Amino acid sequence: MASCIYLESQVRHHPLAQKILERLRRLPVIEIEHFGEVFNPRAQNFRLQKKKPAIIIASKTKGHVLAAPEGYGLGGDYNYYFSHMLNCLYDCRYCFLQGMYRSAHQVLFVNYEDFGEQIRQIAATHRQEPVWFFSGYDCDSLANEPLTRFTEYFIPLVASIENAWMELRTKSTQVRSMLSREPVARVVTAFSFSDRFSHDSLEHGVPSIAKRIDAMRRLIDAGWPVGLRFDPVVYHENYELGFSELLEQVFAEIDADRLHSVSLGSFRLTRDHFHRVSRLYPDEPLFAQNMRLDNGIVSYPPDRERQMIEFCEAQLMKYIPGHTYHPCEWHD
Amino acid sequence: MLIWVAALHCEASPVIDFYRLKKSHRDKAFDLYLGDDMACIVSGVGKLASAAASAWIAARYRDEASLAWINIGTAGAARHDIGAIFLIDKIVDAETAKSYFPAPTSTPLLPGSACLTLAQPSRAYREDCLFDMEACGFISSALRFSSAELIRCIKVVSDNRHAETGRNREQVSALIRHHIESIERQATDLLALDDEVAALEFPAESWQRLLAMAHFTQTQQNRLRVLWRYLCNRNLGPEALLQELSTRKTAASMIETLERISYSDSETL
Ligand code: SF4
Repeated sequence: MASCIYLESQVRHHPLAQKILERLRRLPVIEIEHFGEVFNPRAQNFRLQKKKPAIIIASKTKGHVLAAPEGYGLGGDYNYYFSHMLNCLYDCRYCFLQGMYRSAHQVLFVNYEDFGEQIRQIAATHRQEPVWFFSGYDCDSLANEPLTRFTEYFIPLVASIENAWMELRTKSTQVRSMLSREPVARVVTAFSFSDRFSHDSLEHGVPSIAKRIDAMRRLIDAGWPVGLRFDPVVYHENYELGFSELLEQVFAEIDADRLHSVSLGSFRLTRDHFHRVSRLYPDEPLFAQNMRLDNGIVSYPPDRERQMIEFCEAQLMKYIPGHTYHPCEWHD
Repeated sequence: MLIWVAALHCEASPVIDFYRLKKSHRDKAFDLYLGDDMACIVSGVGKLASAAASAWIAARYRDEASLAWINIGTAGAARHDIGAIFLIDKIVDAETAKSYFPAPTSTPLLPGSACLTLAQPSRAYREDCLFDMEACGFISSALRFSSAELIRCIKVVSDNRHAETGRNREQVSALIRHHIESIERQATDLLALDDEVAALEFPAESWQRLLAMAHFTQTQQNRLRVLWRYLCNRNLGPEALLQELSTRKTAASMIETLERISYSDSETL
């Protein structure tokens, strides 16, 4: 439950805003002119706010859908991303959202129609070519589903555009709304996993590994394409054991042949993000590990990274067909 | 360290009495009352006075690892009863229309309200907010020294369309004193947050001793600070670490030693 709601006056009568307010009717509502008034000021302590962030109900006015950075995606030629929320319900220490914004409050944009319009326009410019739209870049796509009703709008939208593909990235178990509709072959739900040691220490508030595997299995059984993301793999003294156990646990439930895609990458952050987050959590072992700065990216020293990736890939290949594997490429 | 800021003595006295704060005879610029982990300053009326008092006391406590703030006072309201208490969630400067938002870190236990800070006393009651003469001066100043989560503003209604008690000092004190338990809960909560922020800083004394052990360049000091903060927060004990470093001759070898300890400690997440 959030601490309170900040509501942009201009969206007060928007139907989705009304639904959110109805669901959170016990919370105090504070009217604001623009979400930046609350979200952007300097004097905010992200770490304190993260204990119980507020919900900000707002309208996004520009940049609804953006071109994805180089190397982002699953091999398609045209990749875009969009965020119907800013910040995440969960609190994973390795996440680039930690301190990406000054505020930890969760911004929920309600003007989906404007996102939809841009998605249609972009898809139209690429005519018959497949275009990927990645959701969950600045948030977790499904974690707030009961409030945001994201799938209710965006899945039928993507289904109606013949060359549009969408990836939802999540660590949540909120799949009920998807299970209640017909599967769409061009909507892939990607579940991210870390081993149990990393999960226990670094993924605060994230549902258990077992519950997420179960959510994944239910989607696959219902005919939805599902992806697996082992990203980021975090180094610790038991990472080999942890990763092997994780694969065992996942593939005891999931038929690898029915997976849309699998990706793997080790922990990395841009220099700015790394500095911001390590200042926020100076007591966090993850940021006290042996890291290197290379080309603006902070990550493990090359030997360690190679060793980790080689080990994890070798384990993974025991379970999955090679064509589903997409390593996370971020080195030049 | 918790700082209370009140415009008038009659608004401050319930807090001073409750926490048994002692008047400081050393400080002349403002009336100041001191306790172990808190101080209460009487600013005088108006946003400039409140801003000045807040800045002055922040300077007085500049060596504190963290400062938390409560502005306690009375306000006017159109439709609320005399004596109603509010935790202010939005402060608007009537002169500039600029808004400030104290940031909650839990669902507020007191009813919330916006507060409009006026430059002059007024009887033009507005339906949608309280009004006072200090809050925006207080918060604009406090935000220069602390984050919005460590700043609260509590107002008790002293005047409305039907009654005005704002000029009766005893009544003002009584209105605030009536809520002292709720006010104390806010203070306790805020002190806990303040301790949490302060705990992330390392002990200044050990840091000075560390710096005195070798000549560290600015870049080395930056690295050292990160390592020292981490290791002190991991309960590795500054004394034991300083002991370990005492056999190292150069700044570089000291940093290397701390890195080794830090890398090894962080292998367990
Ligand atoms: S679930 Fe994803 S978006 Fe949310 S905090 Fe964790 S890594 Fe970040």
